[in-house]
Amino acid sequence: MTPPSGSAGVDAILARVSAGRMAATVTTLASDDFTGRRVGTDGGAAARAWLAGHLTALGATVDTDEFPVRAVPEVYAAPTVVWGEGSASTLLVFGRQVAVHSASCDANEVRRGPLGVAGSGDPTHRWLVVPTGMSLFDAYADAQGAAGLLVSRAVDADGWQYTTLAGPDPGPLPILALGADTHRAVLAAAPTGRGWLSGNTPLRRRDVTGTNIHATFHPAPPGGVDLLLTAHYDGVGDHPDLRQPGAADNASGVAVVLEAARILSAARPPGVGLCVALLDAEEVGALGSAHHSRRLRASDAHPLVINVDGAGLLDKAAAVEAGGPAHALLALLDQAGRHTGVPLAAGPVASDNRRYAAAGLPAVGIGAGMGGYHSPADTPDRVDPDTLRAIARLVVATACLAVPAPATLPS
Amino acid sequence: MSENTQTAPATTGGFAGDPAAALAVTGSGSCCGSPAQAVGSILPPAGEALTAGPCCGTAQAAEAAGSCCGTEPKTEAVNAGQGCCG
Repeated sequence: MTPPSGSAGVDAILARVSAGRMAATVTTLASDDFTGRRVGTDGGAAARAWLAGHLTALGATVDTDEFPVRAVPEVYAAPTVVWGEGSASTLLVFGRQVAVHSASCDANEVRRGPLGVAGSGDPTHRWLVVPTGMSLFDAYADAQGAAGLLVSRAVDADGWQYTTLAGPDPGPLPILALGADTHRAVLAAAPTGRGWLSGNTPLRRRDVTGTNIHATFHPAPPGGVDLLLTAHYDGVGDHPDLRQPGAADNASGVAVVLEAARILSAARPPGVGLCVALLDAEEVGALGSAHHSRRLRASDAHPLVINVDGAGLLDKAAAVEAGGPAHALLALLDQAGRHTGVPLAAGPVASDNRRYAAAGLPAVGIGAGMGGYHSPADTPDRVDPDTLRAIARLVVATACLAVPAPATLPS
Repeated sequence: MSENTQTAPATTGGFAGDPAAALAVTGSGSCCGSPAQAVGSILPPAGEALTAGPCCGTAQAAEAAGSCCGTEPKTEAVNAGQGCCG
């Protein structure tokens, strides 16, 4: 296809962006079959197979690249946690009132014991309520022989305790995170001598294999622009009986990259090479991009990297974080923002873009909102089609404006 | 996974200010896995980044801990309910 030229040509290309197609991608990636796409799971593998097939159908040469990932936490059973005062008892709701703390040891057997307060009294066989403000290190100091620790954790606007996979190594005790209201009630009951709790912490850590997906559409010509579009496809994964679909984080970013690649591979803006990397293991510390950026350095490749992390709900402006020698890329992004009417502002995008930047590559991360972060509320219906469309147009316009006259920032 | 992402008001497309501010985002030395900012919230102004990586703490502390992150800032981040790389 002969690419249209000039501003009208860019607009003609941008007109091909389909919000409906991206919304369908988000719905697929967030579906039950993919189980939240945690690294090393069957759901992650199913998502990868679907994505590789999709990229192949778009005409790309697709391959995968594996790397080891150590100690990925997995809640393998819903914890059963009940607390009470005297004969009264309350079963706590997993994910809302109680969650397994990421520093907990694995203890699947339910332990019942009286309540105590960390740092005071005999801890033996007690569930110790850790007062707000006390660190886990301090709580451990007087917890010899305790049944476990109970720490306070805020819930989000939907009432969920969000899940994180990147965290500490396991400590010596079971640790349960209680929603702030529950924590207050349990802390108040502890000194009465009548409070008790029974609970377990079924949390194991698995060494798994992460797998990046690489798609090459067409190489950059000599003197051209080598563009790499990235997004992570992994999520924090489902808990037992608790789906965490990962729609905004980051099925939305993947959908944007796929749509941009579909359009750019057909339009082929002159002088622009196009590759895509869909990355694994971002949720455990951006390990997929760390692996890929090392590979790029070793091969002496220097692409311009555009990473999309969240295109769920654009309100005032999309956040842009840049690193590496990215002045020219930022100027292009600015031009693209003006062309498409997408407002941009400097803001943190703590994602794979940082790994590429740390490797010395010009890299920008674009973030445009996530509802229900790392929780069951991150569902496709909360991903705004207009936001998908806006960010895809921004990315496509950036590529189209990259040639023939790359912009520079005023000195 | 990022802390993201809605930022200061802008009425037209592109950056309202200097695009180069995106090269020095405050907080870019913090943890991966921080919760999303509320939609429409105002992020901290751009400033000097504390570190170049996606990890907690300083590079020196991370090196001493043999990890992506320093042990103490990582523990603080986890205690605060945040994730942390490495």
